[in-house]
Formats: sequence, structure tokens, C-alpha cells
Amino acid sequence: MSIKRTLPTSVLSGFALSGAFVLTILQLLLQNIPKDIDRAGDSLLQLNASEGVANAVTTVVVYFRGFDTLGEIAVLFIAALGIGLMLGENERCVIKAQSNFMLHTGAKLLFPIITLYGVYVMSYGHLSPGGGFQGGVIIASGILLLLISHRDFEVPHSFIVWLETLAGVAYVLIGLIGLLTLDVFLGNFLPHDVSQMGLLLSGGIIPIIYIIVGIKVGSEMSAIVQSLIKRGDNV
Amino acid sequence: MIGFTILLTFFGIIIVAFASITQKKLADSIILFMGVGLGSVVLFFIFNAPDVALTEAVIGAGISSLIFLMALKHLKAEV
Amino acid sequence: MFEYLNQAEVIKYIVTIGSMTLFFVGLFGLLTQKHFIKIFISIATMETALFLFFIGNMFNKDFTAPIISEGFTDIAKMNDPIPHAMILTAIVIGMAVLALGVSMSIEYYKLTGNTEIDKMNEMRH
Repeated sequence: MSIKRTLPTSVLSGFALSGAFVLTILQLLLQNIPKDIDRAGDSLLQLNASEGVANAVTTVVVYFRGFDTLGEIAVLFIAALGIGLMLGENERCVIKAQSNFMLHTGAKLLFPIITLYGVYVMSYGHLSPGGGFQGGVIIASGILLLLISHRDFEVPHSFIVWLETLAGVAYVLIGLIGLLTLDVFLGNFLPHDVSQMGLLLSGGIIPIIYIIVGIKVGSEMSAIVQSLIKRGDNV
Repeated sequence: MIGFTILLTFFGIIIVAFASITQKKLADSIILFMGVGLGSVVLFFIFNAPDVALTEAVIGAGISSLIFLMALKHLKAEV
Repeated sequence: MFEYLNQAEVIKYIVTIGSMTLFFVGLFGLLTQKHFIKIFISIATMETALFLFFIGNMFNKDFTAPIISEGFTDIAKMNDPIPHAMILTAIVIGMAVLALGVSMSIEYYKLTGNTEIDKMNEMRH
């Protein structure tokens, strides 16, 4: 009745190696726990209050470190390019099975609500937690729901290409306009009063840039998800 | 009470992560990985970081796990 | 015991040891598992452990989230917004790299038909 199992040597050696590595790092970390951290964000919080935007993280992502966001969008674009190159199929395969009736009806009810929630999170990014990345991925997950439940649904490829291109070009154009008028790349050239903090139209170009980022991220995630879906029983 | 809550949540995350790696079926492993994402969202909320919590909930427990699940069908793994 | 656990140094100890244990679990999975998908899940677990370590060390009980609204207008008692912005970027990039890795493994399976790293020995002949 007693089953004797011997651990293979690979598991034991993996346990010992990773344990030794982590214990070394842990001992170094526990000796130098910081007591009073010098915060770099104190001055940024005060600068943010003079911009007229309520959410400090949005200001840091879009305005103070806006160039890093441009690089992150480039990384997402390269990943979507690689996935589309490797998995793009040239012919659509024939679908054999019809999806469930409950899934079919429920998806038609849920898709407008999910899209509305995504647009809300995207456009209120400077007043409450949220922003462009979160809203774009929410819209992409709504499109995934429609792709699973309907047989013939397909987002046209040229539509995604044009949307992504226009959003990327608009981002760089706004930066260049700021360079022309204020001598700073991505400078804030629209009026931004402190008295308007908390309203929807406040903060100058910051909500506009975040909406552009959201459109680009949403269309890229839709392209990634559409390349990975597989329908039918034949490859 | 905050310290006790953080300790309990860390216990939960570590147990679920260990169970997710040593499963035989692949679909169970991916669903338990979603549990790790859920635990980390709760921890980010306790640490007063709402933007990071929303991003981790949407990406870590939403799109990333769904991409893994869609790849299972391509790899013809037995679910 | 609850009051002992609420002090600032003890919380930093808990966060450091907990997130490093999660990193250890992910590293153990990376070294011993053989299927492609399990290796990617271990890498994602390691990244989650690092994000938890980063944000947990900035935790202070008396500070609030860095958003100005009615009733929360004291700027001197707000959290630091710079680590939040860095972790946001890191989460998105981690997801993109993982998606690319998964699609590469699908292409490899279509070419040769195996999904274990033990049998990847085309360069040995």
C-alpha cells in the first residue's frame, strides 16, 4: 500500500541551485533595509499641481517622461509585427462547429457594455486611476469575446493598419508642434489652468495624448489576438 | 491588522504559484496562474497603488492568461 | 501580535522575504520543467515577484494614493508617483515579450512536432 517515490536528481539539483542563489540575494537585501527613503517624487508632486491635472501618475507617464512612453509603444509595435509575420494565415479555414446559443446571445449583450467601459477608462485617465493602456486592452478583450462566439466575425486588416498608423503619426506630430512653439519636445501648448483641476477638459494636451496611446494599444492588441485565434478542426 | 493581511496574502500567493508549476495538465496550470495575478492585485491595492493594480488586473489576469490558453489549442496539448 | 506586525520594519521584512520566496518558486520551475508553456509561466511568476518587491518597499501606512480629489489635497502626505509609472511600463513590456515567445514556440511545433526542451537536439548531429 505504500508507494515509494524517489525524486529525480534534476529536481534536487534545481532546488539546491535556486535555493543557494536566492539565499545569497536575500542575505544582502535584509542587511540593507532602508530606513528613511529620500523620495524623488516630492518635487514632481508640486510641479504636477501647477499643471492642473489630478492624477500624478498620468502626468509622469505622459508629460514628464513622455519619451519613454514613445519607446514602449515602439516595443509593442515590434512584438505585434513579429506575431503577425509568423502566424498570419493567408486563407481562412472553414468552420465546422456552430457555437453555443447562450454564448452567442450573451456576447451580443456584453460587447457594448465592455466597449463603453473601455472608452470611459481611457478618457478619464487624468482624473481617476486608469488611462490609455488599461482602456485599450479592455476594448481588445471585448473584441476577443466577439471573435470566439460568432462564426464570421473578423476585423478587417486594413482598418487596423490605418488606425494604428494614424495614431502613431499623431503622437509624433503633437510632439513636433510643441517643439516648434515652445522649444520643448512634447511641450504643453494648450491652455492649462490650475482652477480647472477636476474637470474633463483640463491639463492641456495630456488627455489628448493618452487617448491616442489608448487607440494605438487597443488596435495592436486586437491584431495580436486575431492572429492567435484558431477556428475549426483543420489547420 | 494590515501586517497580518499582507502575511496571509503572501502565503496564499506562494502556495498557488507552487501548485501551478507542479500540475500534470496544462489547463490547470494556466488557471492557477490567474490566481497568482489575482493575489497580486489585492496586494497592490493594499500598498496604495491603484493604477498599478488596474493594469495588473487587466493585463496579467486578462490578456496574458488568455494568450496562453489560445496557444494550447495550437500546440494540440491534451486538455 | 497584531500590533507587533503593524510596525514599519516588520512589514518591510515580510515583503522582502515573501517576494524572494515567490522568486525562488519561479526559478525552481524554470530549472526543472520541460514543457514550453510551463517555462513561460515560471518567467511570468518571477516578474510578478519583482514588481511586488518594488512597490512593497515604498509602503507607508499614513500616506495615500497620488491622486488629488475632494478631501485628499495634502500633497506632502502622498505616495511617490515615479515607481508606479516605471512598473506600469514594465508590466506591458513583459506581456509583449511573452506573447512573442509563445508564437515562436507555436512555429517550432509546426516545424518539428515536439514540445519538450529535452528533445531539442537538432544541432547535435
